[in-house]
Amino acid sequence: MSFFSFAWQWLSLAHHWSGSNGVPARLIEHLEYTVLAMAIASVIALPAGVLMGHTGRGGFTLVSIANVWRSLPTLGLLVLAFISSGGASWAWLIPLVVLAIPPIMVTTYEGVLGVDADLKDAAAGMGMTSRQVLFKVEVPVALPLILLGLRTAAIQVVATATIAAYISLGGFGRYIIDGLATNNYQLVAAGAACVVVLALVVQFFFAGLGRLIVSAGLRQQARQS
Amino acid sequence: MITFERVTKRYPGGTIAVSELDLEIPTGQTTVLVGPSGCGKTTTLRMINRLIDPTSGRILLDGTDVQRTNPAQLRRGIGYVIQQAGLFPHRTVQDNIATVPMLTGWTKQKARARARELMDLVGLDAQMARRYPHQLSGGQQQRVGVARALAADPPVLLMDEPFSAVDPIVRATLQDELLRLQGELHKTVVLVTHDIEEAIKVGDQVAIFRPGGHLVQVDSPKRLLAVPADGYVEDFLGFDRGIRRLSFLPASSLDLDASALAGQQTSATAALAQARRAGAAWLLVIDAERLPLGWVTVSQLEAAPGETTLADVPLTSGHGHTFAVDTDSLRAALDATVLSSTGQAVGVDGDGRVVGLTSYDRLRAAIQQADEDARAEEVARGVGAAPDVGAAPAVEGAATS
Amino acid sequence: MSWAFSNASLLAHLTGQNAYLALVPVLVGLAVSLPLGVLCARFGWLYPPVLGLISVLYALPGLALFVVLIAYTGLSDTTVMIPMGVYSLAAIFPSVVDGLRSVPEPVRQAAVAMGFGTWRRLVMVELPIAVPVVIAGLRVAAVSSISLVSVGGLIGIGGLGYLFIDGEQRNFTTEIVVGIILIIILSLVTDTVLVLLRRVLTPWQRGRGRISRRADIRAELAARPAGM
Repeated sequence: MSFFSFAWQWLSLAHHWSGSNGVPARLIEHLEYTVLAMAIASVIALPAGVLMGHTGRGGFTLVSIANVWRSLPTLGLLVLAFISSGGASWAWLIPLVVLAIPPIMVTTYEGVLGVDADLKDAAAGMGMTSRQVLFKVEVPVALPLILLGLRTAAIQVVATATIAAYISLGGFGRYIIDGLATNNYQLVAAGAACVVVLALVVQFFFAGLGRLIVSAGLRQQARQS
Repeated sequence: MITFERVTKRYPGGTIAVSELDLEIPTGQTTVLVGPSGCGKTTTLRMINRLIDPTSGRILLDGTDVQRTNPAQLRRGIGYVIQQAGLFPHRTVQDNIATVPMLTGWTKQKARARARELMDLVGLDAQMARRYPHQLSGGQQQRVGVARALAADPPVLLMDEPFSAVDPIVRATLQDELLRLQGELHKTVVLVTHDIEEAIKVGDQVAIFRPGGHLVQVDSPKRLLAVPADGYVEDFLGFDRGIRRLSFLPASSLDLDASALAGQQTSATAALAQARRAGAAWLLVIDAERLPLGWVTVSQLEAAPGETTLADVPLTSGHGHTFAVDTDSLRAALDATVLSSTGQAVGVDGDGRVVGLTSYDRLRAAIQQADEDARAEEVARGVGAAPDVGAAPAVEGAATS
Repeated sequence: MSWAFSNASLLAHLTGQNAYLALVPVLVGLAVSLPLGVLCARFGWLYPPVLGLISVLYALPGLALFVVLIAYTGLSDTTVMIPMGVYSLAAIFPSVVDGLRSVPEPVRQAAVAMGFGTWRRLVMVELPIAVPVVIAGLRVAAVSSISLVSVGGLIGIGGLGYLFIDGEQRNFTTEIVVGIILIIILSLVTDTVLVLLRRVLTPWQRGRGRISRRADIRAELAARPAGM
């Protein structure tokens, strides 16, 4: 039988859509974890990335950080956090945040750094202070890349949160982990299907956000290059 | 011989890059295609090796339509040099040069040996062979580009603004190198440039294009400067084409004056008499070898005691700039005359020995003779009205200023 | 780390399994990316849709993909290796296209004008020049793959990921830390090998690290597959 029929078998049952283990409840949980982790990570990573890109410092460190980040095993970090904290209920938050920071920071840095020097020059020449150049020119122009970093991080967080179910977190991962433990492939498939849909929605959300926030001139320019 | 027969290139948007072009490019000579941006010269060039195909018309290479030849085959027989050289960054200099030979099946040894030969030919130090392009200067890279184009000894060499990306001094050197190479190799060279000076310097034949892909005039540089076809060409040639034309007239056509020359051993009295006879205000003192020493004025001669020889009379000034009668042009002679403190320039032979003196009058005579000869030639060729040469008035102006 | 030493053979086995599960798909990804990338570089209009499709797959969480595949390939190595292959493709394919596009236009033109046929030009001129960028993509793919494989521990096929599951069950921190460290070491070694490979393949780049560094940064932007 195909994956879809398994998933459908579980998802088509009405009582799976209500209650604390129902799809809506789990969805909300998953979103909560994602938003919280993203918020904390952004608060740390956005200013850091913007500042480093603006001053041009720290590039080498960032590339090293990015390299290390890519090699960190999420499951390992989650389990480590869980065990070291003695099974704390917030243990999952640390790895989620830690893993979300590098993509936001590195991409933001790259974005701000990569703003055409001529643009910054022209802005300064018009009498803008360094801070004005930053917020009126560099950040808006770097926005596509900043959004890309946020999108990457968000997808990352959604996926890590899924795995975090292994250390007792809720959300859609719960279905997968519980299903694996009880050999209930229908449940597992349903969980995977929900996660996939959620991931796609997040993708489209950011694409739409991009269209809204990023100026049309920039979008066209990107398309031409 | 490369022949363009009614070649047109029209692009999908409606732009006409080349319009009904008829052009013959003679074998073994350098033809320069020149004009401003958008005039179709580069398009024309790239149709020869089929980087671009014409919309209509034919291009014949030694009688064969290039459209009928397999492009890759065609291109291996045509050398191509572009502005930024396009050297392969991942290959050494010698391997870059050896590219086409290796492509056509030569062994690596043979190809590399040929590469070293060519490096010598284009004036590159043999040490550079194992270096990579990014380690070379712009001028050196261009030389490698030319060597690479010549590696398989193609009969045709296409050059697209080859010297535009280097500084003027290097450019001049490379242009001289090209002239030297052509002197040795006699390839059919088609060169594209936007610089009319470059065209006149290196071209045996110059083809001037107008925006919109129209060929306006094809002629030797000399005839071009003498008889521009219309106002556009005249403007394109620039404001001092009269004087620049003089570069193509030989200094040997001057009738030089030998009467105002006096040896060191001549006495002041005799010199004075000679000067009076010649009606000259100055005399050029020469030594026993006929090498020029300097000028003396008549008033100095008058003041000197009769028996002194010119050797003891202090010279008023050095002999000034000289020009080589056999190899220099009228322009060099004019330049030397303008720079001379006496209004006369010294013409010398290959060993530096004085042949005679020129003056503004003699220059004007030589130019007018050249004009008459050109006019006769035009009439013989069947070209209509008397051309406005314009060079004579320019010289008059120079003489009085 | 006496525990580590006494279990050295297990660790070695797991490391080997991890490497196998991670790197074979990377090679497959490379093998697919090369022709695909060449096609998309040549026919530019193909690139956006292909890239779009691959990006969508790439955004899907790894665990979910593993689980989907169980329905088709059961609990075998392939179940883990197919998603690794897809993620590798997502990192390497844009690098191939980018690399080919990084060939300077004068160089490409010169190659055409010298009479290189399309394929010879590709193999002898364009791909060699694209190597630094492609290797940057390979590095991202390899390192991500190595760490992502460990998630497969949740379905029992995870190389060093086994240490995380076992460590959690036994409440044994050391085992977990050893697992993390070994994964990091394996990634580092693989990354270094690739950097060395790049130096060997591009002797013309020595003393001119700028292009390679730029390529690395561009590949960074390709980011990490979402499966972690």
